[in-house]
Amino acid sequence: MAQTLYDWLDTRLKLQPLGHTLLDEPIPGGASWIYVFGSATLFLFCLQATTGMFLALYYVPSPDSAYDTVQFIQHDVTFGWFVRGLHHWGASAVMVAIGLHLLQVYLYGAYKRPHELMWMVGVGLLLLMLTFGFTGYLLPWDQNAYWATQVGTNMVASVPLVGDVLVRLLRGGETLGALTLSRFFALHTLFLPALIVGGILLHLFILRRVGPAGPWNVEEARQRNETFYPRQVYMDAVVMVGIFLALVALAGTIEFPLADRADPADHTFTPIPEWYFLFFYQLLKYMSGPLEPLATWILPIVFVIGLLLLPFLDRNQDRRPRSRPVAVLTGVFFLVIMFTLLGISIRDLRAMPKLDPSVARGKALFAQHHCLTCHTLHGEGGKVGPDLSYVGNRRPDREWHIRHLRDPASVSPGSIMPKFPLSDREINDLAGYLLTLKGGSAPPPVTTSEVDYIASRSAPAACRSLVCVDQNHWKGYL
Amino acid sequence: MTLQGTPLDETPVLSTPVGPRRRFFAWVTTVAMGIIGIGLAIPLIGYVVGPALKRREALWNEIGPIDRLRTGEPEEVEFVNSVKDGWRQATVKKVVWAIKQSADTVVVFSPICPHLGCGYRWDGDEKKFKCPCHGSVYAVTGKVLAGPAPRPLDVLPSKVEQGRLWVKYQQFKSGLDHPVEL
Ligand code: FES
Repeated sequence: MAQTLYDWLDTRLKLQPLGHTLLDEPIPGGASWIYVFGSATLFLFCLQATTGMFLALYYVPSPDSAYDTVQFIQHDVTFGWFVRGLHHWGASAVMVAIGLHLLQVYLYGAYKRPHELMWMVGVGLLLLMLTFGFTGYLLPWDQNAYWATQVGTNMVASVPLVGDVLVRLLRGGETLGALTLSRFFALHTLFLPALIVGGILLHLFILRRVGPAGPWNVEEARQRNETFYPRQVYMDAVVMVGIFLALVALAGTIEFPLADRADPADHTFTPIPEWYFLFFYQLLKYMSGPLEPLATWILPIVFVIGLLLLPFLDRNQDRRPRSRPVAVLTGVFFLVIMFTLLGISIRDLRAMPKLDPSVARGKALFAQHHCLTCHTLHGEGGKVGPDLSYVGNRRPDREWHIRHLRDPASVSPGSIMPKFPLSDREINDLAGYLLTLKGGSAPPPVTTSEVDYIASRSAPAACRSLVCVDQNHWKGYL
Repeated sequence: MTLQGTPLDETPVLSTPVGPRRRFFAWVTTVAMGIIGIGLAIPLIGYVVGPALKRREALWNEIGPIDRLRTGEPEEVEFVNSVKDGWRQATVKKVVWAIKQSADTVVVFSPICPHLGCGYRWDGDEKKFKCPCHGSVYAVTGKVLAGPAPRPLDVLPSKVEQGRLWVKYQQFKSGLDHPVEL
């Protein structure tokens, strides 16, 4: 049946020579498990493209809807969690695959003559993939997305002369908002895919024109020459299915969390970039002050230019690692630095006290409702109400706090604290935050600067929604 | 310099696995691609058709106090129908026919003619519902009196709680002799 169909098509489309061209490409030195990274990257890219197209069925790139549609995909659509999980883990996997591919090409000196152009296109593809990661991160429009992109775009702003213009172009205006989201969406799903497909085709076209580099030893490459099909195809296929099953397992077991909806007013959120930007994020921490531009744009630009020009810097025709110690040592040096930074960063992140989102919301409420007008927290604030610095130790009972916040007089007869117009969820969040105010390993208290910051920018709004509604009630206590 | 008598610029002969080895590689490749293909196809099909097959759940809508209605006299009442539309909760204005039977029972008819879906009206003089499209006529009970209508007017689930009328807005397939919810 399949054979008949093939024959029918073959007589019309002359498939045999095509198959021959595609599959019988010679591989110098024979097929090898070392060569699978390129095809693994291509496979992952195709997987990202597929899952991405399906995500676009339900996703809406607007600040009003983006977060809801992602929630909808995750919780309501059949297999939505799976498609989103694959796309998320696939994004990480693509970076790993690219990293390994790059490393292998570097180690094998496969960027040398006649492969210079292929290498340069490859560097371009790497940059495109990083841009994919950056633009995709914003799309769920959750707190992490919002604040990480805030940081990322601000870094662009630090480029001298053109920085201001660049960042406005990137954001579509002064601030990160609706225009930024639709821009990032269009880049992520329309512009970048078009560019990268062209780049990939060019990369592969050059590969077919110049042929694979083959093993280090030129003699070895001459002795053996093997067709691409079936052994290399088989190796690629085995790796692809391995990657696919690993991604399915990840998507099925570790749900990629969605933080709270992006809230530009809540600056208590500490964004964490994707892990492949973490080493850079860590580097930025060391390069503060006058060194900052070095990290934010000088080093990246030097790095990219260095990568692009690598084939012209390293002109030694011998590809064996032994005869190119400088190149190999530079590579090792870079890897050591990168992984050290990544390691430190991960260690720090683990050590960072995890602020429960509910507690974070409670903390924000505490600041937003100006609780410090009456209460003291570690020496800051008013003296009308009790000092709350260690209230978690004194009152470890959540129920008590909830009842108290609903109606203070019910549990503390004679209390002059007003009833705040809070929803059940807000009361629960606020109680959660109060419970964390303990001696010992207490989370950082609300600092004055934070309070001032919030008060200064949201005072009118706050006064509309707060106790100030009930002006007379409020004044009596001050 | 030559290697095994091959001049430098001459490409060596291409080798390629043959026989059972070749078939083994081809087989593994096919199986691997099959796993990926099926592993993607099943969830993706589910992903696409899932919401398409999902029934919209009709919610109870509050219409208002029933003492505004006159017994035996059909009244066209308006309300805001809230439906879940994908990820959003959409609200649309809807109209239904409510006929009070007694102090606390009300019958509510869908405003859509069961014939082909036109809107019918109440003829107060003749005490009949009339559809302008193909001339179906219904009694105040919903019974078909004339015309091509295949079934009586569709009754919507309704309830009266504390003097207020609640309705679930449903839609039915047209042209059948019994109501089938859409
Ligand atoms: S639609 Fe009402 S009679 Fe045909």
